[in-house]
Amino acid sequence: MTTDREELIVEFKEHLIKYLNLLDLTPADIKNDVPLFGEELGLDSIDSVELIVLLDREYGIKIKNPTEGRQILVDVNTIVDYIAANRTK
Amino acid sequence: MYITDLYAISPQKTHDLSFENGDWQVLNEYIYKAIEPSYQDVIPNSQLRRMGKAVRMGIGVSLPLLGRNPKPDGIIFGTANGGLEDCIKFLNQIVEYNEGVLTPTNFVQSTPNALAGQVALLSENQGYNMTHVNGSLAFESALLDAALYFDEHKTEERRILLGAVEEISDYNYNIDRLGERFKQELVSNEELLNSKTSGSYCGEGSTQFYLSSNPENSLAKFSAFKQSSHLSQAEIGDFIGSFLAEQNLQVSDIDCLLLGKNGDVSTDSWYEETEKLFGAKPTVYFKKSVGEYRTVSAFASYLAVQLLNGKAKHLVENSIPTEPKTILIYNHFDAIRHSLILIQK
Amino acid sequence: MAEIVVTGMGAISSIGLTIAENLHSLKHEISGIQRAKHFKSHYSDSLVFGEIDQSDTSLLEELGLEKGLGYTRTTLIAIKAFREAVANAQLTPEDIASTRTAFISSSTVGGMCYTDDLYHDANMQGSPSEYVKNYEGSDHALQIVRLYGMKGITDVVNTACSSSANAIALGARLLETGKVDRVIAGGSDCLAKFTVNGFNSLRILSEEPCKPFDTNREGLSLGEAAAYVVLERKTDVSGTKKIQAAFSGFGICNDAFHPSATSDDARGPRMAMELALKRANLNPEDIQYINAHGTGTPNNDVTESYAFSKLFKNVPPFSSTKSYVGHTLAAAGVLEAIYSILAIQNQEVYPSLRIEEPIADFSFQPTLKYTPEVAIQHVLSNSFGFGGNCTSLIFSACI
Repeated sequence: MTTDREELIVEFKEHLIKYLNLLDLTPADIKNDVPLFGEELGLDSIDSVELIVLLDREYGIKIKNPTEGRQILVDVNTIVDYIAANRTK
Repeated sequence: MYITDLYAISPQKTHDLSFENGDWQVLNEYIYKAIEPSYQDVIPNSQLRRMGKAVRMGIGVSLPLLGRNPKPDGIIFGTANGGLEDCIKFLNQIVEYNEGVLTPTNFVQSTPNALAGQVALLSENQGYNMTHVNGSLAFESALLDAALYFDEHKTEERRILLGAVEEISDYNYNIDRLGERFKQELVSNEELLNSKTSGSYCGEGSTQFYLSSNPENSLAKFSAFKQSSHLSQAEIGDFIGSFLAEQNLQVSDIDCLLLGKNGDVSTDSWYEETEKLFGAKPTVYFKKSVGEYRTVSAFASYLAVQLLNGKAKHLVENSIPTEPKTILIYNHFDAIRHSLILIQK
Repeated sequence: MAEIVVTGMGAISSIGLTIAENLHSLKHEISGIQRAKHFKSHYSDSLVFGEIDQSDTSLLEELGLEKGLGYTRTTLIAIKAFREAVANAQLTPEDIASTRTAFISSSTVGGMCYTDDLYHDANMQGSPSEYVKNYEGSDHALQIVRLYGMKGITDVVNTACSSSANAIALGARLLETGKVDRVIAGGSDCLAKFTVNGFNSLRILSEEPCKPFDTNREGLSLGEAAAYVVLERKTDVSGTKKIQAAFSGFGICNDAFHPSATSDDARGPRMAMELALKRANLNPEDIQYINAHGTGTPNNDVTESYAFSKLFKNVPPFSSTKSYVGHTLAAAGVLEAIYSILAIQNQEVYPSLRIEEPIADFSFQPTLKYTPEVAIQHVLSNSFGFGGNCTSLIFSACI
């Protein structure tokens, strides 16, 4: 039985793939605890800004800048927890 | 400036060299879209995901060229518009979100020097790096820059990656359409020059050359070039005549002419004037292959090198040539900006 | 390098509509960064800009140009600065039109300053706007070529923030070949929704007027400007023509690190400065003032400072004049070249404005106040752009 959290995880990963245009990746390919800005996914500073836009447009969460965002945007788990706690949409 | 390698992505099958070996795509379209290869093996996904078409085509040409040659000392590009697809995406974001929270990738990728920057990044090249956006003389400006570079480093062996890129996106297509650059009616590229109406069709692509100061193994050389942004039809004869004289050449020394005739009845007369000057000559009308776009003279140069090396003979009109040794390219845009490029074996 | 000199200058910016007005503001620490009067954007009320204090209508009138012919603001300010520069260099109409005169300009915005018209045309919403043929970056240059009947070599470059610095270097290189006798080089960029939103999307705009090299700097302030210099070979200068300064050297390279950020070890900036010094036959200790790129972004100012610390045993006085006019994009390189020349001519250093707490990581700090009576022989001017394009120019007093 899929929980709300599991649904949110899939939904977030789909947004991630769309916003960052992660070619050839499906939600199943992105592990929940792998650092987004580490070796495996290799996202960079422009991606961190794109993520901020994603959170604003899809969940109504406002993060001011990448520096503030870097504490929150660690891996899928931390981000989804943050969304669940702070979403306004 | 010796050309030791080259590659192009264009509306013909240049990406796998079929075109050079005799293939000819009949194009019956309003837009001559580039035939692109699969980039998955050439460009890492982490980079490819961000690239708009201009950057993608540009990198798709650069990386193979750089992969099979030593690292160049400089990277010089000409592009009139850069990444327009990204430009319109960002523009639409501005309006759609009322200047609110916007994603930056489109903006960063739309800057005309994004391509030269990306090539430098992906090939770890910290050398000379320049992007010329001089409209329909952007490639000629890049060519001049390369010539200056080689001149300054005469005493050392130097190499430059020289190229051009132009893409069609909704943005520039619509703007040029409103600017009445295109034909209202559809005519195939085989009949393009007989159409007797104004406008042409637009093309796109990236063409790049690996240049060296060392003549060893060279395919051809850029011998000379000249540009003008201010020329009347009466002056074209003198413009060409004095250019040839400066190279100690006469009309009879030119083995083959590459002319930028594009089927636009309002400006093709300039080329007809030129044809009168030269008389019967083996000629290639390169825009029949790839359409009209600001940096198409790069493609013409590419064709010239192929012809000088016995390829693409199927494009030559007016007679069957022996293998040419001296080719002159004459191209203009809007009959306002004119360029001559001399390429020799 | 053959001796190349600057014989004419023209500039329009948020701190002056002429060179003289710019100089006055520099000396009196008058910043042009404030709420925009003419520029219309969602951000006009929330951000500050270095806006030129003259409307398009006023410019058209002053320049005696007809309305409705696609003169964009980028073009109008370019023409104004161009006029001042060629007059300053005492160029006749025949000189300007000559095949021996080259024109090298730059712009990042081009005609896209009319973002709404652009949207309208690009999405084919009705009949074409007045500017449908004027959006390209090269358009302003073509307009000038047409107005002056220029028959020589023309070029327009775009390497983002280092554009007009590269235009100047290209001009010098052309002069050295002997193919041309004079080069008019520079650039023009005006405020545009496109760029404001672009930089804002990268989160590098400051809400308050920028404060380059301050610990608490938040980002850059956008500005608009146009400026041109006339370059000639020293041996060709005679009669009453005045030499403004010598153009001693330049360095051009690529940081090859990231599309919109400088490497932590500032390898690109360092190499550009080293190449410039080498070409000018100078050592780091020969520089008496550095006009820094100094945008006010967290990334640039610390990496540029780091580059200084590695190159100079004793870092000379330095400042960012972007604290006066904001970041004028393509025009920044040439505008700062002119400010560097003014520093030499007047033997003074213009400060980096609004610094409350200089960056702590280094033992040196920028010049904080206007400082007259400084012996200046050589000035280094930096411009580092998106795409990793790094350029450094060196100007010297001409004896």
